[in-house]
Amino acid sequence: MATLLLGAPAPAQWLNYPTPGIPRLANGKPNLNAAAPRTAGGKPDLSGIWAWEDNRPCPPEGCPDAHIGQEFLNIGWSLKNGLPYQPWAADLVKARRAANSKDDPQSRCLPRGAIRIYTDGMFKKILQLPGEIVILSERDASYRQIFTDGRPLPVDPSPSWNGYSSGKWEGDTLVVRTEGFRDDMWLDSQGSPLTSAAKVTERFRRPNFGKLEIEITVDDPKAYTAPWTIRLNQPIVLDTELLDYICAENERDTPHFTAK
Amino acid sequence: MIYIARRMIYIARRMIYIAMTSRKTFCISLAAVAVMLTTGVASAQWDPYPWKRVPRTPDGKVDLNAPAQRTRDGKPDLSGFWMPEDPVKYLLNLASDMKEEEVPLKPSARDLYNKRIDNNGKDHPGVSCLPSGIPEKDNIPDGLKLVQTEDLVLLLHESRTIYRQIFTDGRPLPKNPQPTWMGYSIGHWDKDTLVVETIGQNGRTWLDMRGLPGTEALHVTERFSRPRIGHMDIAVTIDDPEAYTKPWNVKLAWRLEPDTDLIESICEENNRDPGHMIGK
Repeated sequence: MATLLLGAPAPAQWLNYPTPGIPRLANGKPNLNAAAPRTAGGKPDLSGIWAWEDNRPCPPEGCPDAHIGQEFLNIGWSLKNGLPYQPWAADLVKARRAANSKDDPQSRCLPRGAIRIYTDGMFKKILQLPGEIVILSERDASYRQIFTDGRPLPVDPSPSWNGYSSGKWEGDTLVVRTEGFRDDMWLDSQGSPLTSAAKVTERFRRPNFGKLEIEITVDDPKAYTAPWTIRLNQPIVLDTELLDYICAENERDTPHFTAK
Repeated sequence: MIYIARRMIYIARRMIYIAMTSRKTFCISLAAVAVMLTTGVASAQWDPYPWKRVPRTPDGKVDLNAPAQRTRDGKPDLSGFWMPEDPVKYLLNLASDMKEEEVPLKPSARDLYNKRIDNNGKDHPGVSCLPSGIPEKDNIPDGLKLVQTEDLVLLLHESRTIYRQIFTDGRPLPKNPQPTWMGYSIGHWDKDTLVVETIGQNGRTWLDMRGLPGTEALHVTERFSRPRIGHMDIAVTIDDPEAYTKPWNVKLAWRLEPDTDLIESICEENNRDPGHMIGK
């Protein structure tokens, strides 16, 4: 998948369209440390194409093309004591690992959901609009909406992969609350669960032009003994555009999954 | 309530496929599909959340007959939640306003088309949860939310939770586009009409459910105009010299679905269609 992604750009001309408004250094290179742009309303503008943090060491023979970050494998890898699984959830993750994660919903082309699209090897494009933020993901050319028009979360939301999201600004931080997830979601490829009891809070900051910080707090008492918080650092991607990846296209994986 | 409505959409979709499987029961199934879609879709959205910044009649409803609003840069504002005015007509047969012999199919394309019809459309990409191309996507009766900015028009389609970007920042069409399911779209304003050109589709999508073909040479022009808040006209030109002897036109229309928003729809969830498709 990432192989495709990285292999494709050369002949695909539209991936080389220049991003407007890049702050530049004296030598003409993008100044990633410049101040973050702001919208007409004065808030930081989170708009842009964002990638995942490549924070996993490479083997001595070099990095493979499909080099996803630590959080894709274990979303709680940065936590000293790991994720605070409920006993059943710890057993489930153990069983999923033993089964080579063959029942991962994404293996059957189901969505990765609101959180997991940050950690997979695909680009996201954030569009900050009046009253809402849209996050486009290359994965199945899918989108997620975050309403910023002050609406409350619905009382009885229809369970979904993205949940229902409402955000508001606290200073220069966009605080997004999401509820209404499905019961059968995986947060990473080892199968850390997310359930319909989950309340997720994301805090978005753009400390400079080149960087997006997303602090994610998961409060899911059904699956975890305590709320936990991680921080993702996402680098900006310039002079390109999203390229659709359709999972169901020529999908031949399913019969080949093996487990003990 | 939402669950029931969702199920009804699935059933309606299944019925479209069933409609394809028998030409004798076609009309009956079609009528049933229309009923299912109308009842299903209307209640399938989130709890109503009233839109802001739209003109309303004294009873509080969105004034569908008011003239279209304008954006800050003076363009007509095309944004809103839209549904195909006729939920099935152009989805089933994009050329339904033409006589069969008027569709300028090249002989090879006519053979392919006839084969698809004889085969009950069982190989339509949607059966395997693959995306619709342009213009079929305009006719999917699950509706879409159109978002308009100065340099981008974004179509958020409910079905498949899939997006389409139309770049309106003045860039040209790419010369050698990477073929994709929905192609590459740019748009410009011709007075109050948004003219959208799309190339770079992968030739695997069908123009409708009966199977009018399109190839990688397909060049689609959509002219969007909004004469009043509640209505969108889309004049479509199909230009595909590999499949058709000359360009041909079809007029589509959308109606506004006020005070609602998108609900997630994932085709791969429990898709059980493929095993039930019957063809030769």
